[in-house]
Amino acid sequence: MGEPFDISYVFEYLVKLLPTLKITLLIVVSSIVIGLGVGFIVALPQLYKIPILRRFSQVYLSFFRGTPILIQLFLFYYGLPEILKLVNLDVAKVPALYFVILTYALHSGAYMAEMIRAAVGAVDRGQVEAAYSVGMNGFQAFTRIVLPQAMAIAIPVFANLVIANLKDTSLAFSLGIMEMTGKSQTLAVMSRHFVETYISLAIIYFVISFGLEKLFHLLERKLLKHERRITTEVKEQQVKLGKTKRSLLGFGYSRGGRENEA
Amino acid sequence: MIKLTQIKKSFGRNEVLKGIDLTVKKGEVVAILGPSGSGKTTLLRCINYLEKPSDGQITIDEFTVNYKRPDKKDIHTLRQKSAMVFQQYNLFKHKTALENVMEGLLIVKKLPKEKAREMSVELLDKVGLGNKLDAYPSELSGGQQQRVGIARALALNPEVILFDEPTSALDPELVGEVLGVIRKIAKEGITMIIVTHEMSFAQDVANHVVFMDGGVIVEEGKPSEIFNNPKEERTKQFFKRITPDGVYSI
Ligand SMILES: Nc1ncnc2c1ncn2[C@@H]1O[C@H](COP(=O)(O)OP(=O)(O)OP(=O)(O)O)[C@@H](O)[C@H]1O
Ligand SMILES: [Mg+2]
Repeated sequence: MGEPFDISYVFEYLVKLLPTLKITLLIVVSSIVIGLGVGFIVALPQLYKIPILRRFSQVYLSFFRGTPILIQLFLFYYGLPEILKLVNLDVAKVPALYFVILTYALHSGAYMAEMIRAAVGAVDRGQVEAAYSVGMNGFQAFTRIVLPQAMAIAIPVFANLVIANLKDTSLAFSLGIMEMTGKSQTLAVMSRHFVETYISLAIIYFVISFGLEKLFHLLERKLLKHERRITTEVKEQQVKLGKTKRSLLGFGYSRGGRENEA
Repeated sequence: MIKLTQIKKSFGRNEVLKGIDLTVKKGEVVAILGPSGSGKTTLLRCINYLEKPSDGQITIDEFTVNYKRPDKKDIHTLRQKSAMVFQQYNLFKHKTALENVMEGLLIVKKLPKEKAREMSVELLDKVGLGNKLDAYPSELSGGQQQRVGIARALALNPEVILFDEPTSALDPELVGEVLGVIRKIAKEGITMIIVTHEMSFAQDVANHVVFMDGGVIVEEGKPSEIFNNPKEERTKQFFKRITPDGVYSI
C-alpha cells in the first residue's frame, strides 16, 4: 500500500491540517447558528399545534432526518441550481461552500427543531399558567420562564448535535471543499502516508469534540444551578457516608470524594 | 366586589359550568365545596382566564369583561386583578423563593429592583420564610413551596386571590402551616375564593360557603347554615359521604 509508517509525519501533518480547521469551523458555526433559527421556525407550528404549517414541518423533519446527509449535499449542490434556473436565477458562480453551509444548516435545523420541541415540552405547563396568573403575557412567559429552563434541558442534546455536525462536515470534501478531511485526502494521496495523515486528522477532531463536550458540560452546570444544589447536598451526604464507611471498614477509598473532584 | 354572571364553559360536548352566578363582597372569604368533577377548578380558572369561558360576564372592582368577546387588554387587566395559588404550587423552578415573588413586581408591575426586593422580603417574612429567601423550589418542602406561592400571589396586590385546593398535595403534617398562613391573610381583609376539601378549615375561615355539583351552584350561604342545616338533598348527601356518621367534628 503506502509508505512505511513513520510517526514524525503525524506531527508534520497536524501542522499542515490545522490551517484548514477554520473552514471546518466556519461550516460548523454558521450552520449551527442558521440551524437554530430554522429549528425554531420549524418547531413553532408543532409547539403551538398550527394545523397546516404543522404538516409542512413534519415533512421537513422526515426528509432531513430520513435521508443521508451525503445525498442531501449532492441534491442541494447539483439539484438546487437546476431548480433555480427555472426561475432564471443563475447560481453557477456561487461557491460550493455556500451550498455546503446551507445543507448542513437545514440538516441540523431538523434536529434542532426536535430538540427545541422536546425541551420546551419538558417545562411543565403549570409554570406557564403561573406566569400568566401573575400577569405576564405569552412572550414574557416564554422568554422569562420557559426558555431558561428549556435551554438547560436542551444543552446535552445540543452538545451532541454540534459534535455530530462537526464530524459530518468531513463529508463536505466530496463537493471539493478543502476543509480538514479534504485537505488530509490530498496530503495522503500525495505522500502515500495514509495512516499518519488519518491519525493526525482523528486527533484534531477528537481534541475539538472533547473540548466542546467539556465546555457544554460547564454550561449545563451553570444553567442547572437550581438543581445542582440538591445534587451537591446528596453528594455531601455521600461523602459523609463514604467517610464513615471508610472508617468502619478501614479502607481508604471514598466514592463521594472522587465524584466531587470530577 | 366580584360579580360573576352566567359563566358557562364546555369542553367539547361536555358542559362543565352551566351558568354560574356568584357575588363576592370585598374582604369576603368564600369557600367552594363540591364533589370531584363538579367544576370547581374550572370555575377558578375561568376567573383568572386560564380557561376561556364559553359565555358569561365578570366584574371585578368595577371592571367588566364580557367573556363572549374579550380583547387582549381585558384579559391582561383581569389577570392583574386576580392571582392564583395552585394545587401543585407551580413555582418557577429556576428562580429562588425571593425571585419567584419579585418576578411579577419587576416584569408586570415594572417596579424598580430595590423596591420589588424590599416588598418581597417583607411578604416572605409574613409567610414565615424570611430565612429561605435564596432557596430554590427544589430545596423547599411542599408546605414551604406553597407558602412561597401565596407570597407570590400577595405581591401583586390583587383584588382577589384564588386558591385551588392549596393543601391537597401536601403531606398531612404540612397542611397546618399553609392553612395557618391563609388564615392570617384572611384576617387582613383580602378577598379570597378557596376551593377546599378541608371542611373544618372552610367552616372557620370562610364568611360564605358555596356548594357546587354538576356545574351549578346547588346551595350557598353562611357556613353555619350550609354545614349544620343544608336545605338541598344533594348537599346533605355530600356531607354524609365525607362524614358517614353525619357529625362534622370541628
Ligand atoms: N382541559 C380539559 N379538557 C376536557 N375536560 C376537562 C378539562 N378540564 C376539566 N375537564 C372536565 O371538567 C369537569 C370538571 O373538572 P374540574 O377540574 O373543574 O372539577 P373539580 O370540581 O375541580 O374536581 P376535583 O375536586 O377532582 O378537583 C370534569 O368532568 C373534567 O373531566
Ligand atoms: Mg379541582
